[in-house]
Amino acid sequence: MPADHRRIRVPEESQPPQLYAAGEGEAPAPRDPARLRPVYARAGLLSQAKGSAYLEAGGPKVLCAESGPRQAEGGERGGCPARAGCEAPAALSGRLLCDFRRAPFSGRRRRVAPGSGEERELALALQESLEPAVRLGRYPRAQLEVWALLLGDGGSALAAPLTAAALALAAAGVEMYDLVVGCGLSRAPGPAPAWLLDPTLLEEERAAAGLSVALMAVLKQVAGLLGSGEGGPNESWAEAVHLGFEGCQRLYPVLQQCLVRAARRRGGAAPL
Amino acid sequence: MLANERSASFSSGLETVAVMAPPVRYCIPGERLCNLEEGSPGSGTYTRHGYIFSSLAGCLTKSSENGALPVISVMRETESQLLPDVGAIVTCKVSSINSRFAKVHILYVGSTPLKNSFRGTIRKEDVRATEKDKVEIYKSFRPGDIVLAKVISLGDAQSNYLLTTAENELGVVVAHSESGVQMVPISWCEMQCPKTHTKEFRKVARVQPEFLQT
Repeated sequence: MPADHRRIRVPEESQPPQLYAAGEGEAPAPRDPARLRPVYARAGLLSQAKGSAYLEAGGPKVLCAESGPRQAEGGERGGCPARAGCEAPAALSGRLLCDFRRAPFSGRRRRVAPGSGEERELALALQESLEPAVRLGRYPRAQLEVWALLLGDGGSALAAPLTAAALALAAAGVEMYDLVVGCGLSRAPGPAPAWLLDPTLLEEERAAAGLSVALMAVLKQVAGLLGSGEGGPNESWAEAVHLGFEGCQRLYPVLQQCLVRAARRRGGAAPL
Repeated sequence: MLANERSASFSSGLETVAVMAPPVRYCIPGERLCNLEEGSPGSGTYTRHGYIFSSLAGCLTKSSENGALPVISVMRETESQLLPDVGAIVTCKVSSINSRFAKVHILYVGSTPLKNSFRGTIRKEDVRATEKDKVEIYKSFRPGDIVLAKVISLGDAQSNYLLTTAENELGVVVAHSESGVQMVPISWCEMQCPKTHTKEFRKVARVQPEFLQT
């Protein structure tokens, strides 16, 4: 057969290279179920955004920015002026819009297009958890926008952006009732497993169920709860929620210090 | 506080004593400040269950008044997010006019500029206090005029802020004639171009006495 110079000679069958990759099959190391990875938080780092925060909790790294309040866009409907007497107070309170993105380099595999489904669901969860904490009644007809960018994934994809978003809102000077702290949990598959607080990426990939808890620390009110995975006895979910609360309370002093430091930096820069 | 001790030991060795500003206390949203019996809530705070909580991340200030309870408020350095409120005097720029109303962009609330402009509407019946039905918007405002107005309503979800200029001190402050030159007010309803000497109709705001030169 004459040599075919237009095609590259390859074997007839091909296999995906992951089969030959070094084993990721090692099980996650046993650890104290209530350990929290050390957290680094800094608020007020972006000069172009009204408020911003960067949070690093072991694996997950999140950058969050807040802007506004600006005129709510839904009101631009034709030129029909309203009667001055009738106002609907519920329609007058402000709105909170959240946008969640994952950077393409955040996970092991590069994401080609922004995965719209999961990101939109997480953005909605973010908005639902932050709304109870922000005093939207003080910003009539305005909208506040929060952008969260996940730079590195490391387990608990919702908890870290939630905490960073609350920090960004507080650093921007938005009036809030309380700081929302987020915490992630996961449960490994198998009979009678324990819930692990703040799972690493490996633990979360092998998890049978996951839970994200958002707690308003001082008022002790739950702002959001997002769970997924296999069901189990109710007591195990209740115990997971309590473990999440404990994690959030332990995280709160770090955030408090971070905000105080940011306020001090702002106060030091602008002499009164 | 460490800073205080340092300054005390330093001043003991000197003749003159430097007055140290009281240490600033920073607080974060949700921090419980004090009881309702010890203070009354000011700006940046809210009350719940008989306690005053902070709602801003800033410095705590206590203004002690004689007799009344001290007012506890949380201040941030920049007076942030001033939204137009009912009864506030705002400075706006006319963006488009219609036979029934004029649409404006609200630029300043009082004397603080807004970072994002809000939209407002001045209806035909809110331009003047007298002879409301004989008002013609074309003879009161033109696009590009700078107008001082007062907010009468926040409007509902569909509409913009409702403004009024039905007072002597409210109305057009700066206007440009058709030749592009800034006009001079000559009466409450006319302005004159200094270059072409043509008069144009506007609803002019009364000039404050301190800006008149006689």
